[in-house]
Amino acid sequence: MEKANLWYGDFHALKNIDMEIPENKITAFIGPSGCGKSTFLKCFNRMNDLVEGCRIEGRFYLGDVDIYGKTDVNELRRNVGMVFQKPNPFPMSVYDNIAYGPRTFGVHKRALLDEIVERSLRQAAMWDELKDRLTKSALGLSGGQQQRLCIARALAAQPKILLMDEPTSALDPISTGKIEDLCYELKNEVTIVIVTHNMQQATRISDKTGFFLLGELVEYGDTVEMFSDPKKEKTKNYITGRFG
Amino acid sequence: MKHSKAKENAVKCVFAATAIICIIAVVAIFIFLITESIPAFRKIGFFKFLFGDTWNPIASDKYDAPLSGTYGVFKMIVGTLAATCGSVVFGGTLGFFTAIFIAKFCPVKIKRLFTAVIHLLAGIPSVIFGFFGMKVLLPILGVFSSNGSGSGLLAVSLVLGTMILPTVVSLSKTSIDAVPESYYEGARALGATHEQAVFKTVVPAAKSGIVASIILGIGRSVGETMAVIMVAGNKVNYPGGFFQSFRVLTANIVMEMGYAGEVQLGALIATGVVLLIFILIVNVLLGLVTSRGKKEKSVKKRSGGFMGAFMYKIKSDRIGKAASYVCAFVTVVALFSIIAFVVVSGVPHLSFQLLFGEYVIAGAISILPSIAATFMTIAVSLLLAIPIGVATAVYLNEYTKKGSRAVKIIRGAIDILSGIPSIVYALFGMVTFVVWFGGRMSVLAGSFTIAIMLLPTVVRSTEESLKSVPDSLREGSLALGAGKVRTLFKVVLPSALPGIMSAIILSMGRVVSESAPFMYTMGSTIMPMPESFLSSGTTLAVALYKLAGEGRHTDEAYATAFVLLVIVLALNLLASFIEKKLNKKLQGDKNAVHSSKRKSFGRKKREGQREN
Repeated sequence: MEKANLWYGDFHALKNIDMEIPENKITAFIGPSGCGKSTFLKCFNRMNDLVEGCRIEGRFYLGDVDIYGKTDVNELRRNVGMVFQKPNPFPMSVYDNIAYGPRTFGVHKRALLDEIVERSLRQAAMWDELKDRLTKSALGLSGGQQQRLCIARALAAQPKILLMDEPTSALDPISTGKIEDLCYELKNEVTIVIVTHNMQQATRISDKTGFFLLGELVEYGDTVEMFSDPKKEKTKNYITGRFG
Repeated sequence: MKHSKAKENAVKCVFAATAIICIIAVVAIFIFLITESIPAFRKIGFFKFLFGDTWNPIASDKYDAPLSGTYGVFKMIVGTLAATCGSVVFGGTLGFFTAIFIAKFCPVKIKRLFTAVIHLLAGIPSVIFGFFGMKVLLPILGVFSSNGSGSGLLAVSLVLGTMILPTVVSLSKTSIDAVPESYYEGARALGATHEQAVFKTVVPAAKSGIVASIILGIGRSVGETMAVIMVAGNKVNYPGGFFQSFRVLTANIVMEMGYAGEVQLGALIATGVVLLIFILIVNVLLGLVTSRGKKEKSVKKRSGGFMGAFMYKIKSDRIGKAASYVCAFVTVVALFSIIAFVVVSGVPHLSFQLLFGEYVIAGAISILPSIAATFMTIAVSLLLAIPIGVATAVYLNEYTKKGSRAVKIIRGAIDILSGIPSIVYALFGMVTFVVWFGGRMSVLAGSFTIAIMLLPTVVRSTEESLKSVPDSLREGSLALGAGKVRTLFKVVLPSALPGIMSAIILSMGRVVSESAPFMYTMGSTIMPMPESFLSSGTTLAVALYKLAGEGRHTDEAYATAFVLLVIVLALNLLASFIEKKLNKKLQGDKNAVHSSKRKSFGRKKREGQREN
């Protein structure tokens, strides 16, 4: 990322952010509400394109491809999966939910799809729970299951990066724990970028952490280092709970 | 990749094109009305036409020769105004109190029954209202009248009033329900009784919504045609007393359209223009009331919400309460007497010959051809209106920026379409579609005409259901790399299916119950089986009008009314059934299909525990 600037209408939401995100690691973004971390996250898969009056400057590279260059947005989103704050399973069966991504990209062979569905569900550690309910509607699952299903759905497209926008904020502690375990296991296969309000969560699962405040990236570094010895006063104040 | 982008753009263009069709329809109707009426206005003289009180058309009048007839519609303008006032006094009052009853006094148990009653009333075709008025109301009123027939302003007011009841009741009820509970509680906390709280606090707070519902009722009264014709008497008179035969603007068009000469046709189209101006005035009023209502509400909030409390005119709340009980009772009686009339008089006259027999001209009557024609019309008009309407709604909701100029223009066009009285569509269809399809009335011409009328309903209903699809689903699909088109067809539209289905069924109901737009586009003479879509024919509603009006086949008319009512009610039931079923499916309770609800609850609980 180089010099990322983003405006919503007249509101300058992100200011000059430079950042490099390491492969196959978990990177967490923390910061108070409205500081721009989710907005920044959505730049990676260009979901901000959907927001009216949103303007983006700067360059975003995935490997050495400029994602705001000539890339096809849908191709980009195939490589950069996303999990949202609230689980948003489609009103279809569990199977169809997961097969949605692959089908989008032209996989229609039943055997292949079966394989993908099973692999994705196994990756998301819910194959045993769901293997008998593949044809049931995904809306009948519990909140935690729905969210893990959404993760499995994102994995089915075999993305290189998985973006997670506060994936556990709508869930109970037990489901949250499961999702954190899942992230930990997944990081060998994908790069995960997670936005969280919960600093404990950031320390538990992430390798690197970025602290955002009012649209600026205040500090970015190794998680352990940052939480034990923050370099900036603002970071220290935030993680010790003085504000936010 | 480029290929997919081209596809996305192509689809967007298709959606945009359908939206443009809506605009074209409006523009075409206006161009037609203006170009066809201006010569008549010129020839007759604008003021002479509006304020002349003699209507004596001569069919042989031509634009290039001196006029021998007289064309003044003032009596009919007065007639329309009087009929509207009468219907609003009757239907407005009845509807107002019935709405209060349902919202505030009705025991919870029968609340659903009442809502269903109002729903049913809204679905009954206007021809049946007219038929009921003709066969039941007129003989009763005839006893009291000097002319012995009973037709005239009183009968029109009663029939029209009953017809606008559902509009007034359902909208008033919605706005009464929308009043914050805190107003009511506040009033009760100050020591007011239930009745005082309702009439002095809640109802005044819902004032703007109630007024809006009555204005909508006015719009319906002004545009109504068939029911009025059947009970008004239709002589060109001022509506001098309760029992004086008189004619309204819409009736004027229907009565003479079939055999109008050149200038006469122009004058009839000009009558349509006058009618449209009335409707536009009503719409402007409505806009004023609703926008003022919004302002008022914000002012009220600041001053505590009780300011309106003492403005209300009903002095005694007890009278109000009594009135609401009585009116609700009258509403139910009205509905049941209409249904009972149709059933009791219709069932004995059902016969195999009538339902399935062959129609012989000037011989045996059968309504099988009419049933066939009705279903043919439904098929063609839905084939036209549903794709165009749904696509327009998709364009408005998924492809445009909110509040952009394109959206405003398209929405405006759709609002105008929904305001145009059906008889004006009939004129338009007669002059355009009938000519397109070979110069004679046909199923196709009728279907095209009604298809335009269906558009606003389809667009609005679809748009509502598209709006209710949460954005998180769209985002979820896009984030998986699905394009806009795929997201739309695989996720958004399936989720919006219940709304689209109900739009389809509502449209079917509309086709079945409308009659005015068909009479001069599709035919008003009952014919043998239509051979193709280019044959002329009558829909059931038109057949009923004809059978009832000619007086020679009253028994068959009774039976036809029964068949018509059964079809309409069946469609109503089907609509609510499908909506319920689809909603259930979308909510994902597939378990509930196999086991009872309680069981599936238990299962969910167990699952929750297992997760723990």
